[in-house]
Amino acid sequence: MMFVTGPLFAGKRDYVCRAMGWTQEQLAARAVWDVQYLAADAPDAGALAELADRLAGYEVVIATEVGGGVVPVDAHERAAREAAGRLACLLAQRAETVVRVVCGLPQTLKGDSSCWSI
Amino acid sequence: MMTLVIGGAASGKSEFAEGLSLRFSGPRVYIATMQPFGEEALARIQKHRDRRARMGFDTLECYTGLAAACDTLPEGASVLLECLGNLVANERYSPDGGGEGAALAGVLRLADRCRDLVVVTNEVFSGGSDYEGDTLGYLRELAAANRALAARADQVVELTAGLPNWLKSGPTD
Repeated sequence: MMFVTGPLFAGKRDYVCRAMGWTQEQLAARAVWDVQYLAADAPDAGALAELADRLAGYEVVIATEVGGGVVPVDAHERAAREAAGRLACLLAQRAETVVRVVCGLPQTLKGDSSCWSI
Repeated sequence: MMTLVIGGAASGKSEFAEGLSLRFSGPRVYIATMQPFGEEALARIQKHRDRRARMGFDTLECYTGLAAACDTLPEGASVLLECLGNLVANERYSPDGGGEGAALAGVLRLADRCRDLVVVTNEVFSGGSDYEGDTLGYLRELAAANRALAARADQVVELTAGLPNWLKSGPTD
């Protein structure tokens, strides 16, 4: 599994299509994105790990970074942000390759992406 | 050797910083800066404390006045400070805080005082700038401290999803 992360609107899905040679339809069938929103529904660490295991069944998993702002005043928002960060750590552990995309540019944080065209 | 570790919420900063600290010899001291306000903070503190206890860290609780607290450290200590974001807030807003600049002054003194230092700080600058009250003032101070410490540090590393991206220098082995 390849895990792709980065800020909002950074070009993560476009990068995946370029790197994998996929069309939008192939992306929809073989990848999953916005998984940061799924983390908040996991009631505990065990459920979060199960979610990560399930997502790791996809070829590509994409998450938007949401933990880089001021700590929210609202407790639920704080918890959701923490869970999203934890989920990203769990997915990175399960991934063969981790790529962070910023301004459409990929940076490989884990593994080897040199075999891809971009 | 001084290392600055930066990352967003739950990016794996603590675990990574602990791993770095374990590579250093000398008495290990963990400087904790989070004031135990409320259950959430207590639970977070307990989580970090449990992990540290297994690693041979002595814990020094220091909410304000880090510069003075440095004098109580053992010789040649290997110190892990977590985290700068709390320290700046404590010095800035606590009744007994030293005000603007006190947190950075404390960490710089700490860097002089111990042999190895790992400082954990927070990436909280990617959520826009539309904040109420003194939040922007706080962000400016924390950002200035981050820049000053990154300039002083031998190594700077950013954590994403638990993975390191070395922004300055990096491990030699």
